[in-house]
Amino acid sequence: MTINPDMKYTKSHEWVKEEDGIAVVGITDFAQDALGDVVFVNLPEAGDEVVAGESFGDVESVKAVSDLVSPVSGIVQAVNEELIDAPEMLNSDPYGAWIIKVEQVNDREELMDADDYEAFCAEEG
Amino acid sequence: MSELKRTQLYNAHVAAGATMVDFGGWEMPIQYPSGIVAEHLYTRKCCGIFDVSHMGRLLIEGPDRLKFLQHVLTSNAAALTRNKAQYCIIPNENGSAVDDAYLYMFDEDRYLLVVNASNTDKDLAWLEPIVKDYDCRIRNITGETISIAVQGPESGKMLAKLAGVEDVTAPARNNLSILDMEGHKVWVARTGYTGEPIGYEIFLKNEDAEWAWNRLMELGAKPAGLGARDTLRMEAMLPLYGDELGVDEEGKEMPIFALALARFAVSFDEGKGEFIGRAALAKQAEAQTAFREKRGTAADLEILPRRVRPITLLDRGVMRHGMDVYYNGEKVGYVTSATMIPYYKTEGEGAEARLLEQTGKRAIGICYIKADVPTNAQVEVDVRGKRLKAVIPLKHVANNVPPYVIPVVVQ
Repeated sequence: MTINPDMKYTKSHEWVKEEDGIAVVGITDFAQDALGDVVFVNLPEAGDEVVAGESFGDVESVKAVSDLVSPVSGIVQAVNEELIDAPEMLNSDPYGAWIIKVEQVNDREELMDADDYEAFCAEEG
Repeated sequence: MSELKRTQLYNAHVAAGATMVDFGGWEMPIQYPSGIVAEHLYTRKCCGIFDVSHMGRLLIEGPDRLKFLQHVLTSNAAALTRNKAQYCIIPNENGSAVDDAYLYMFDEDRYLLVVNASNTDKDLAWLEPIVKDYDCRIRNITGETISIAVQGPESGKMLAKLAGVEDVTAPARNNLSILDMEGHKVWVARTGYTGEPIGYEIFLKNEDAEWAWNRLMELGAKPAGLGARDTLRMEAMLPLYGDELGVDEEGKEMPIFALALARFAVSFDEGKGEFIGRAALAKQAEAQTAFREKRGTAADLEILPRRVRPITLLDRGVMRHGMDVYYNGEKVGYVTSATMIPYYKTEGEGAEARLLEQTGKRAIGICYIKADVPTNAQVEVDVRGKRLKAVIPLKHVANNVPPYVIPVVVQ
């Protein structure tokens, strides 16, 4: 399992990377591995409001459906529309395949750095 | 929680990196690192091997064995000759299923009945009090033997190579043989739970498990887990006890004839005689015929309120077990099994068909809906609060002409 040192992490296995006031959000390698083959992503639309700790969409694998939980509060600036036709990118490149970009970030969930997240994953098995 | 049972291939699964789960009291591989989608597609294109040793294997032996089986199964066991197998259901008096099963006659002196892993104890508890009245016995050989499903277009060639023969069984489904493969005795059945027109289930002694598994992999087969087994059987509209057989979401018994394939599993032949549930099943059969011929009445709906049907989601999304199905605004039933299932795009038809490199995926499954909903009906499915458009097609695949399963894709 890989963890990207440049990102922050939620307990629900999303990653977030903030740059120039924009928060980029995706799911972690741990998450994609637990889900198995991702076959569908339910995305919000640009302009939608997201709230830290609340669902902004869901990701479906062959086995199950899992909520996507926003690490931050703000307004969706962009969604990764490539995921509509190629949701499997979340499996093959979890830290490259971002899901949403959030602007006007005004709140954050409690986030872990890479070391804490690694320890958290080890506990979850 | 009691200790989970392990098959002889447990170490092979773990060594291959499988994700192991509790399935009917057994610790089984749900998928290998390649994933469910790749395992499903490889089975359709080449050959998947599945450890199905967890399934219950019961030998029925003794002079009254045929009489006993005729009483407790829906099929006409008297029609079985040596080296033949048949699908059957263990019915209760109401015409609902205790379990579904496969009956094999590898030799004249005994029958092999293969039942669902999670139902083995329940089936034995159901059958034991009945067998007491017959001069025969049930011997549970699940622990002494193993079973591997070898499924897909290349499966027959691989087994033939191991046996050094041209064909491992007579052509067509439900034929059996006992073969020597590289010094190992293998019971071979042209049966399976994937819908593949070419597929086998082999039975071996415990000590031959790793030999068979490894040799098949050397010949190009790839292991597939319970996840792919489930998507393959859903695509082929094969029922799973607990979803499409047994009791429904309200705890009501599902009539066996809710399944289209009950016609092939239940026999009212004279030679079959009286059996458990016969009277109820005869009524269900008539009601099913009425609905199939689009002349079902309110009286038929009393006997057969709902039928098991294929369902295809038209809107974007994924259906799951338990989601409600609506027709003309009325709730008519629910989804029994569904997910997103991959397929190879194809060219040509029948024996000329070939699989292309391109793959697609579709949100399809099985539902249990009011018996008079017509084929091609536009329905709606409640996908977590959203009503999405779906259709009731005739089938998800065409699989009557070897070697390939051809997806029937609704556009």
